[in-house]
Amino acid sequence: MTTFLQELVVGISTGAIYALIALGYTMVYGIIELINFAHGDIFMIGTLVAIVIMNAFGVNANTQLAGFPLVGIMLVTCIGTMLACAVLGLVIERVAYRPLRNAPRLAPLITAIGVSLILEDAGKLWKGVSIVSFPQIFPLINYSIGPITINSVNILVLVVSVVLMIALQLLVTRTRIGRAMRAVAQDREAAALMGVNVDFVISFTFFIGAALAGAAGFIYGLQYGNTFFYIGFQLGLIAFTAAVLGGIGNIVGAMLGGLVVGIIQSLASLIPGSVLPHGGAAWSEAIIFAILVLILVFRPSGLLGQQTPEKV
Amino acid sequence: MSLARNAPALLPGGNIRRLLAKWIIALIIPLLVFTFWAGEAIINTVVSPATAPSAVPTDVGSLIQSALFAAVVYLVVIALAGYVVATDSGRDRFWKTWLDVAIFALVPLILIIFAGQFAGENALILGLALSVVVWGIYFLIRNLIQRRLPAASKPSKQDISPVADLPPSVVRQRAVLGSFWFAVALDVIWLVIDLVYFFSGQIGLTILIWVIVRTLLLPILGYAMGRFAEAYIMWRANRAMAAKGTNGTGGAKNGQKEAINANPGSSNGLARARARIMNDLPLRSAGAQRFMLTLLIVFLLFYPAIDPFLFGSGLDGRLSGYGDAGYYVILALGLNIVVGFAGLLDLGYVAFFAIGSYVWGFVGSSQFTVITGIQTNLHVVSWLFWPMLIVTALIAAFWGVLLGAPTLRLRGDYLAIVTLGFGEIVPVVFLEMDKYTNGSNGIVGVQPPAFPGANWNTSTPYYYLILALIVLVIFANLRLRDSRLGRAWVAIREDEIAAASSGVNLVNTKLFAFAAGAFFSGLAGMYHAAKLGVVSPDNFSFGDSVIYLAMVVIGGIGSIPGVIVGALVVYSLNEFLLPNLDAAMNTPGSVLYPFHQAITSVIPGFAFENIRNLIFGVLLIIIMLFRPEGLIPSARRRRELHREEQDEVEIGALDVNPGAPGFESEIHVE
Repeated sequence: MTTFLQELVVGISTGAIYALIALGYTMVYGIIELINFAHGDIFMIGTLVAIVIMNAFGVNANTQLAGFPLVGIMLVTCIGTMLACAVLGLVIERVAYRPLRNAPRLAPLITAIGVSLILEDAGKLWKGVSIVSFPQIFPLINYSIGPITINSVNILVLVVSVVLMIALQLLVTRTRIGRAMRAVAQDREAAALMGVNVDFVISFTFFIGAALAGAAGFIYGLQYGNTFFYIGFQLGLIAFTAAVLGGIGNIVGAMLGGLVVGIIQSLASLIPGSVLPHGGAAWSEAIIFAILVLILVFRPSGLLGQQTPEKV
Repeated sequence: MSLARNAPALLPGGNIRRLLAKWIIALIIPLLVFTFWAGEAIINTVVSPATAPSAVPTDVGSLIQSALFAAVVYLVVIALAGYVVATDSGRDRFWKTWLDVAIFALVPLILIIFAGQFAGENALILGLALSVVVWGIYFLIRNLIQRRLPAASKPSKQDISPVADLPPSVVRQRAVLGSFWFAVALDVIWLVIDLVYFFSGQIGLTILIWVIVRTLLLPILGYAMGRFAEAYIMWRANRAMAAKGTNGTGGAKNGQKEAINANPGSSNGLARARARIMNDLPLRSAGAQRFMLTLLIVFLLFYPAIDPFLFGSGLDGRLSGYGDAGYYVILALGLNIVVGFAGLLDLGYVAFFAIGSYVWGFVGSSQFTVITGIQTNLHVVSWLFWPMLIVTALIAAFWGVLLGAPTLRLRGDYLAIVTLGFGEIVPVVFLEMDKYTNGSNGIVGVQPPAFPGANWNTSTPYYYLILALIVLVIFANLRLRDSRLGRAWVAIREDEIAAASSGVNLVNTKLFAFAAGAFFSGLAGMYHAAKLGVVSPDNFSFGDSVIYLAMVVIGGIGSIPGVIVGALVVYSLNEFLLPNLDAAMNTPGSVLYPFHQAITSVIPGFAFENIRNLIFGVLLIIIMLFRPEGLIPSARRRRELHREEQDEVEIGALDVNPGAPGFESEIHVE
């Protein structure tokens, strides 16, 4: 039972990161109906950028910080990473997706794959093909609540994710630009007729989505302590599953989906080797993917989405 | 006198002289380049085996094959000369023809010869890939220039004489003159150069005797091939007239001239042109293409015999490389069905390839005993390769249906992700179920096929096997494309709802597309397993799926010759260009070494191998942005994507009657 609860905690923590990445997927899909394959790789680049920013402050894997410098460096790194990823997202949209907005469906998908390949190789060239260590500067303190252990990094992850998600929800529901985003997602031409600058709104959506991925990259690095050029692809697939599970195009759905997928992934590692060869952990990808297929077969609109009939 | 009237005079008159000059100069230069690179060596070896270069086998079989190859090449080119002289309508200028022939025939030859000198191992494919690049650049520049220049003035009606306008005697005269004088020109030049060789002591008396025989023989052959070309033209003209004869309004011959200058914007003119014109731009006509296809087929069939003349030693390694290129071609053709014909973006194609490999791995090795406990005699198992080809492909097709079934209701984007997931999961399954699949160690000792008289330890049988498989796969694809099912696929690709409303059964058609794609992938997987002898999960990764997609996209989605070219280009990029660039960068003496130092000081991990995905990514983006229809687009695609640039009657479509297979007709609604 304790293992179960412990895995639950771990799952919620990972799920929060998945939720942040899934938000980017879901927002872009909602607005231009394109699966941005490159989004996971933006997350990966975010982790690398965070490492570079911290190295610029002289922080490496062994540095101990406390108090004011700690908070300062973390804030600067987080915001710097978010900005860098946001700009990257803007550039990608401008170069690879905007010219193909009116092209047949296959074209932007293929360019998205192309961008994903480029980013992966850029990560490989930048920091090499092996695992890169991330300075875990946040002090690790374990708290015991009953039988389970939560550590401070988990709490940080949760706090950052919740803050960002609330901020996003407020942005989308309470501001003008958020209303414009919802309008463009609902009906692009009508929004244009109402005076919304569609190009700007779409660019802004990419900006915000990529910024969230950057933040996710930063806290991923803090939690796991390392990064690798391929994690973009791996986590991207999982995050996309989360977005679909929650209902693609639905922001609250993405958050919910992320949590659920994180929990399922941790619980899958509990499956013993007698049921699945090598135990559940090796099969976690397969299980998550199986979930994706099941959702798409039985409830394509996801948990919180609405069934929209395809119009002629 | 009557004989003289029927036999065409062999001295040409006025305007025929210009035609002769144009085409003989155009065609003779590539042929001479080929002759003095390898053709002379082939023929001299046949005539006098003592003069063979060191690596060439001189057994009777090879000599006969080489002789046949040489004979076919020269006869076909001479006949082609006659054909083009006869069918030329005068529309193209001299320089345009010379430029076309130089770019399409001379450049590949030169690049292959050049590649042979520094990368003798892989010269052919590397040379061809480089020429594809050159062609791409040439097209780009040509389009840019054509758009800038004012519209070229068309030659006036009087100057154009399409072949159907000419009386048969004139056609005969032109064809015969063309072939005859081409043969004579070839003869004279060859004779002069051989005499120079003889007097400088490089060739012996036996060869001189052959030279004299050849000098006397070639003009006669020229005349004969000219008559052959003329007969071919008349046959095709009669066939076209008979097919359209009942529909033609008024005189067909009057209609042709009118149709050439008809207003291209009106569908009426286009329709009349299509009804009457037999293609009057010779090099691009279907007739000339058949000559070139003959050359290609002869070259492929006799390649192992002539390779030592072209590239020296190392035949086995080259043939092995072609075998690998071959299964990439089959994979590209299979993926073309799913992505190109049916429009279903499949990112997990490697899964079916893995399934095909593992099935033969299970059956064709001792793993069968491990799994089922039944002892098998491995030599007998080799004979099972042939029936297992079909069985494996069917198993792969079955899995194609299984994996495709959940995706049926999904739109393009979701389908891509789900197939991507399958492409990830299947290799993981094979890796983890190591009770059956031996996990990461893989299955070793997979048996090659068995065929009487073939030694499967060398690469030659694998080369012919893959050629046979490719021919079968191309045939199957052509039949599928032009069948009712193929049209249903195209309908689904364009608009699912409209297709469903027209009575296309979406579920069955999509499942069939997956099954067909998986079928060919299974074939390729089985070939790969048999050739490599080992099946291990490392060979199958998501990166491979992306490479297959790149082949289809770069080559031309939905176009069969396009994806074949795309597969060869991507294969050579992957296997040859990048490692060779790396090797060149690392050797101190080469041109690239200083760049290597400069780059690695900034980016420590740099190697061309590492940025392979980057190059593919950039290529994919560039192609999607600037030429989404790929290198060799299917006719339909080209019309779709460049509608506004149609300013002349389409060349290739005019030889085929609308409605016949291969025309890919579209309905104009004005």
